[in-house]
Amino acid sequence: MRDEEFVAFTSAHREDLLRTATLLCAGDAATAEDLVQTTLTSLYLSWAKMRAADSRLAYARASLTNAFIDEMRRAHRRRETYPALVVPPAQVADDPDLDLRRTVLAALATLGPRQRAVVVLRHWHDLDVSQTARLLGCSPGTVKSQNARALAHLRAALAEVDRDVVRGLG
Amino acid sequence: MDDPSRVRRALEHALPPDPVAIPTPHQDLAHARTALRNRSRRRLRLGLGALALVMVAGVGVTGVLSRDGRTEDTTTSAGPGSIDLLAMTLHARPYSFDLTPKGWSVQARNPYFVTIVPDDGSASTDPDVFIGKLVITFDHNAPGGQPYGGSGRKVWFHVDSDYTTLSMRTSRGEPAGMVRIQYPDRAGWQRPTMVRFLRSVHVGAGARPSLG
Repeated sequence: MRDEEFVAFTSAHREDLLRTATLLCAGDAATAEDLVQTTLTSLYLSWAKMRAADSRLAYARASLTNAFIDEMRRAHRRRETYPALVVPPAQVADDPDLDLRRTVLAALATLGPRQRAVVVLRHWHDLDVSQTARLLGCSPGTVKSQNARALAHLRAALAEVDRDVVRGLG
Repeated sequence: MDDPSRVRRALEHALPPDPVAIPTPHQDLAHARTALRNRSRRRLRLGLGALALVMVAGVGVTGVLSRDGRTEDTTTSAGPGSIDLLAMTLHARPYSFDLTPKGWSVQARNPYFVTIVPDDGSASTDPDVFIGKLVITFDHNAPGGQPYGGSGRKVWFHVDSDYTTLSMRTSRGEPAGMVRIQYPDRAGWQRPTMVRFLRSVHVGAGARPSLG
């Protein structure tokens, strides 16, 4: 029973989790994939909690975010290891959005892990302040201030790299 | 950038246009089943180990009682499976510790972190693998987790699935920040012992904060 439910859930939502993980890891595909696999394994091991959750996807996203925060606490993970976005040269010519993608990822990579998590939860998953605070285990005030700081930082980082890109985002 | 839709659009730009090749659900399932099997084996080993300890303790008590019918004080400083802290300085420059966990040794040290491993060889020799090791770090992040009750320097603890992290502000005269120790679960560390060991840490001038 657990196996069937797990396969069904993974078929439906793995891509969603991977996209979230990619944003949390600022484009580091390998770490994002590790994070998703760790999360899925953890969910499988305590599947009863998944069954009890109001929304399995929301529960999985919360687990993923917590796994990310935990991973960032580990000593060997440091921010400077994240901005790596390796694109094969052939793809550069074929992908007109690549510069923009690189710029946004570089800007995301300048955020601290918790700020990045706040941005992803608030603006990618559309969670409100209190939901985000509950998930991250902090106060709503902290979420608000982290969000404000993160957006200011993103704005500055994007503007520094390429003013046209910032205008393009508008 | 303050407009939520603009932020979302920026995040959309950060994602690769085409999904990369990802494992199939059945590959994920196989991976998860392996983890489940490993966990079951681990629990079985722990259960058998605990049973063996109970039996050994039972035989020991019987032997002591049977000599002349009186009990003797055979208590050591720590019970089976727990950690003894010895009053010896443990050097791991730029970090040092007033106490030394018996049966544990420094494996790796640098300005960013120290790892301390059990001498029984159970931990990986790869310095970048932290499973089953004590990991001591220094950073400028906020304390994380719940405050630990009791007197003395304030300590926060955070419990995760496989380890517990205790954090504490550095002392006056040391580089300002938080010093943290990540303790692996099932390695015999009890919370008061974790706190004592954390409070014995000194962060030297050469320590560098971990980022993130």
